Formats: sequence, C-alpha cells, structure tokens
Amino acid sequence: MIPWLPQLTVRILIHLLVLRPLLKLAFGVGAEGRENLSGLERFILVANHNSHLDVLLLLCLLTPRQLGRTHPVAAYEYFCKPKALLWLVTYLLQPVWVERGDRRADPLQGMREVLQRGHCLVVFPEGTRGVAGQIVPFKAGVGQLAVEFPDIPIVPACLLGPERSLPKRSVLPVPLWNRVIVGPPQLLQGTRREIAAALEGMIRELAASQAATRHKRGRRRQPVPTIAVLGIDGSGKSPLAEGLATRLSRSARVCLISDEVAFLDGGARLPVQVLLKERLREQVGRRAKTAGTLKSYRIPKLAELLLRDRVVKDIRRLYAPDLIVLDGAPLLNITAWAGLYHEEAFDEELCAAALRVLSGNDSLVAEGHAIYALFPELVTLKRLHLADLELPTATLFLDVDPRVSIQRILTRGQSRQVHETEEKLARLREGYRLVCRVVAADLGAPTRALDGHRSREEVLDTAVLEITGMDMGRQSGEVM
Amino acid sequence: MVDHASEMTLVALLVVLSAATLLRGSLRFPFTVAIYLPHVWMFVLAFTLAALGLSPWGLGVLAVLCFHALREYFTLADLRIEDRWGMFTAYLTIPFMFYYISIDWYGMFIISVPVWAFLVVPFAVTLGRQDAEGSVLAIGAIDLGLFLLVYCVGHIAYLMYYSVWMAVYLVAAVVLCDLLAYLLESRERPARIGLPLQLLAPIPAVALLGLVLAPWSGITLPHGLSLAALIPLLVAISAHVVTRLEADLGIDRGHIPAGGGGSINSLKSVLYAAPVTFHYLRYVLDDF
Repeated sequence: MIPWLPQLTVRILIHLLVLRPLLKLAFGVGAEGRENLSGLERFILVANHNSHLDVLLLLCLLTPRQLGRTHPVAAYEYFCKPKALLWLVTYLLQPVWVERGDRRADPLQGMREVLQRGHCLVVFPEGTRGVAGQIVPFKAGVGQLAVEFPDIPIVPACLLGPERSLPKRSVLPVPLWNRVIVGPPQLLQGTRREIAAALEGMIRELAASQAATRHKRGRRRQPVPTIAVLGIDGSGKSPLAEGLATRLSRSARVCLISDEVAFLDGGARLPVQVLLKERLREQVGRRAKTAGTLKSYRIPKLAELLLRDRVVKDIRRLYAPDLIVLDGAPLLNITAWAGLYHEEAFDEELCAAALRVLSGNDSLVAEGHAIYALFPELVTLKRLHLADLELPTATLFLDVDPRVSIQRILTRGQSRQVHETEEKLARLREGYRLVCRVVAADLGAPTRALDGHRSREEVLDTAVLEITGMDMGRQSGEVM
Repeated sequence: MVDHASEMTLVALLVVLSAATLLRGSLRFPFTVAIYLPHVWMFVLAFTLAALGLSPWGLGVLAVLCFHALREYFTLADLRIEDRWGMFTAYLTIPFMFYYISIDWYGMFIISVPVWAFLVVPFAVTLGRQDAEGSVLAIGAIDLGLFLLVYCVGHIAYLMYYSVWMAVYLVAAVVLCDLLAYLLESRERPARIGLPLQLLAPIPAVALLGLVLAPWSGITLPHGLSLAALIPLLVAISAHVVTRLEADLGIDRGHIPAGGGGSINSLKSVLYAAPVTFHYLRYVLDDF
C-alpha cells in the first residue's frame, strides 16, 4: 500500500491536482536537488524570499506525505484583510502566523509548537520579500530554532525567477520558468547568529552557482586570455606549453595550439572537430620544416604563422575556451624573425614599430617610417588586411643557450631545419630577448624569462607560478 | 480529406512516440534525443487531433508549444522586472493569432505579429517603466522571441489547418534533416567539410519523403523536388542562426536543465523552414 494514502485529504488533493499542474503550466517549476528533501521525516526548509509565489513553489517539491505536515511561516498582516483570503490561505497552506507588530509575543512560539508536534516548517529568514533579486541578511530567528532543535535538519533552498514572475507590489503574474535549487540538509552548530549567517552563505552560494546560466546584456565578455611560450628551437618550449596547458586545465577549459590543436579539460584531452584552416596550417608548416635555404623558408613560415593566428581567432570564436596556450606567438615570432633578416638596423624602436604595424595598431607609426622601407612585406600585409596579429596576454620566454639546444635537437634525432645552426639560433635568441623587452616596456603585456637549463619539471613549476601570479584581466583571475 | 488509413498511421505514430517519451528515462537515449522527443510528440499529437477532425484542439496543442518555447526564451533572455508588461502582451499574442488561424482569417493572421503585436509591445514596455533605460533592448528582445517562436511556429499551425498532411510533410522533413545531421556529425571531419555533407545528404531523403506522402499531401513531384532542395538549406540556416542565439542566451547544449532552453533547441530547425514552405505552397497552389 502507498504509505501516504491515509494522509490524503481534500486539501492535499487540491494541492496535487489543481495547484501543482497550474503552477507547472504557468511557472514551470524546475527543481534541482529534490532528493535532498524527499527522504526527510522532519526538516526546516529555509529559502530566500522575493515573491508570494515562493511558498507555492517550495510546496511543489514536497511529497504528499510531507505536504500534510509542513507549515510555512507567514506574516498575518498581509493576508488578514479580505476574510476570504485569510480563510483560503489558512486552509490551503496551514501556515504558522507571525504578527510583526506585536512586540510582546514571542514570534518563535508558534514555530516551536509545530516542531514539537513533529511537523516541518518553511521559513524565509529574510523576514520580508525585500529587493528583487537580492538576498538581505538573514534574521537570527532561524538560528534560534536550530539551537533549540539541534536534531532537525535544516534544508537550504534557493529560488530563482519568482522575483520576475510575481515581484513585490505587482498584481499580474507573468509566466516564466522558476527554478528551485535545494541544497543538502544541514545540522548546524554554533550561536544563533552564526547559524543564520551560515545558512545565508549557503543560499547565496546556490544562487551564484546558477547565476551564470542567464543572459546578461551590457557586459561584454572578457577576451579569452592567451599565454604564449617562446623559445628557440630545442629549448623545450613545446613540452613546456603542453605541460602548462595540462596543469592549467585542472581548473579551466584550455586550448593548446602547438604542432596540433588540442583541447584539455580536467587534465584530459577532449575530442573536437578539426578546423580546415588547421589542416592547411599543418601542411604549410611541414613545407617550411623541409625548406632547404633560409630564403625558401621565409614564405612558408610566414604563411604558417599567419594561418596560426587565424586558427587562434577561429578557436576563440567557435569553441570559446577559458584560456589558450600557444606554442610560439605568431606576432612575436614574425618580429623576432624579421630581426634576423635585417639584424644591422633592427633596434628597439624599429621592433616596437614592427609589433605595432603587425598587430594593427599602426596609428603611432608614421607613413614613411623606416620600417616600411626595410620590410616592404609589411605594406603588402597591411594591404591584404592580414596585419592584425594578436599580442598574447602573457608571454613566457624559455631562455636556453644555443649550444644546449643544438645538443637537444641532435638527440631528438630529427633532421635539422635550415636555421638550426648555433650561430643562427644565437641570433634568434637575441631577437626573442629584444622582442620580449619591447613587449614588456612599450606594449605593457607581462613577459617572463625562464631559465631553460633546469629540468622540465622545475621549469614547468616556475611557469605555473608565474602565470598564476600574473594579472591577466578579471576573467583569467577567476579561472585560476 | 484524409482517408482512414492515414489517420491510423498518425495514431500509430503517436502511440510509438508516447511509449518512447514515457520510456525515455529507462531507454537511455542520448541527451539531445531525450529533449527533442517531447516536441516531436507535441507536433504528432496536434496533427493527429487535426486529422481526426478536432482541429481546434490540435491548434491548442501548438499554442501550448509556442507558449512553452516563448516562456523559456523570456526566462533566459535578460528581460527585467520592468519589462513584465511587454512580456505579458507578447503572451497574449498567442491566443489571438491562433484564434485567427482557427477562423481561417489569413489576412489577419499574417499581420497579427508583424503589425499589431509589433506596435503594441513597445507601448506595453514603455508603459510599465519609470525610466527609459534599456527600453530599446527589451523591445528588441521581446520582438525577436515573438517572431521566432510564435510567428514562425504559427505558420505550421496555419499549414496544418489548411492541410494536415502538408504540415506532416514539413515537420517530418525537418526531423529527417535533424536526424541525418545528428548521425553525420563527426569529430574527425573538418568543420567546413562536414557542413556541405549535412546539407546535401538530406536532399534525396526529403525528396523520397515527399514522394511517399504525395498521395495525401497533394504536393506534386516538381514542387516536392524543389522543396527537397529548399528545406535542408533552411534547416541549416536556422540551425546556424539559433545556435548563435543559444550561445548568447547562455544555453549549454551539453547540459540543459528543465526550462533552460530545451524547447528552443528542439524547435530551432523548423523556424526558418515553416514560413518559407508555407509561403511557397501558398504561392504555387491555386486553392490555398
């Protein structure tokens, strides 16, 4: 036999057959964590209060058996006016009346009686419906009940939506989805004020966990931060980038753009659809790697870097990760490489101008600037609207002696690329150093140099420390 | 207008879908299928009722579907307490529009949202506010929901009122496109190659569907073929558009809680196809 059948009264039937379907149709009750409540014999249900709908929505969560034994706490003065309303509310909800004006009577007395009878309470410790969408400090009365009845679990619940559906001072309910999130039952210790504050904190937390799901206007999303790992070939920047991405993915969705694109979440790789541009970039990159002379290296490498920048933009637009870790940064790589081709004239001033032009911020660079004479490619890139490369939010430069890196390349056993000689790598290293200096000084983006001679683990630990210590905008601060 | 066998087909389909909907907890459908199913069920229920001669009830079911989707949209969109009168007016549009459909007043139906609701909503929004801040965005947001989720879906209702089997054809074609897109969705294939495949594969399927349903729907072969080319394209466009809107509304397709965007997600493919197919058929058929 169904255990709650004997408790079935006309009142419960009205609740189950009339009120609940109507509420569901008009105010679609989306309940989360109902299981926190369903097994409980005795409880005090505590929730935030914004609307007259609140209590009806909370009653929707109860089993028929609980429904017959649960009494909401209500303010008498609101419902006493038309006699019919008072009768209706008293009949349907069987509330514990509290008279706010009466200073002499103990407002908790009625609640105590209910709890002593073994029944349950629905309490709104804010005391009043308050400002829509805001939770005001809880009154200590609920704490007092918890102190007096330490064996009755208190269930915190958060109501979202009633403040829009039926706000204070409005007669017209507008159908909207309302959500009730029920937290786990609590047996709290402490003084009455501490308990009230703890419950308030829990309900705020429940509200915050859901707040992100709603659309907000007028607040632009922070751009996804990018972390670039720079370094000459063989410095171990690819393993560092991968390690960094894996580490950071423990608390955020990270996209790693290295030789291939990977998405990491919780330290594990996620499968994703491949982008066509990424395929193209791989092809071009392979072409550059097998180039015979520095001259034939130049165009494929430039194309690869430009494509890589496009891939970053596509990934940001299509996949919206929390963080992008780049193995090399197209803007900084191109600039450092440019220095290699015109070493004699390339100083900090020219480097800053090149960075500005390539990243599309060329308003400070005059039309006839020396940089355009030195690098006619820049004019072409500008004309093709390709000069809008991204400056990474943060840059890590893995500094390694070229001799060590050549050793590493040789032990890797791959064929050497055209520029991988000690002399060229030393010049490239200087180029990267110069670029990092300029980026930090002129463009104001944080850069850090890491000593690449230490073991991989050590370098990774320092890198993670550096990154978490950096201020990369509000969003990344939340992420890490 | 429909013979006995076709009614039975719809009833049988309804029974199958009811069973699947009821059992969806225990059958462990993939998440996307589980939230999609109730909406197909609603359409089939409406069509069955209409085929059995209970057109007003069928229209009622579709009106509830519209209401459900609109309520979900209003919940997710950043509409504030001050915009309540605007939302309320938007809801009121639904019974009016469906009433005009039920009395077969095409002229009024087709201007109900674009003219009347369009004019009344700004009035209602500005009436309910003390200050002007945010009025433009609120009116825009309410109108978008109204046009997409009420007006576009309303075209299916009018099509159903005219000929149940044309509406069946439309919805079945869209479901077919969704199903193929779901099956063809691959993580291995580059994104830009996957799309043309998803676009081309449904064309023969929809053409075949049109051919099978032709005896009942009365859509002749040439029109069936051009619709077969049109519908997959429209489905792709509307999926593209609504996916962006969903992303902006904060709907995460991997995790949709109750009322968190399931209706919008399930209806998204039909939103463009419905008005275009409706007007195509209205244009080419003399007696519409």
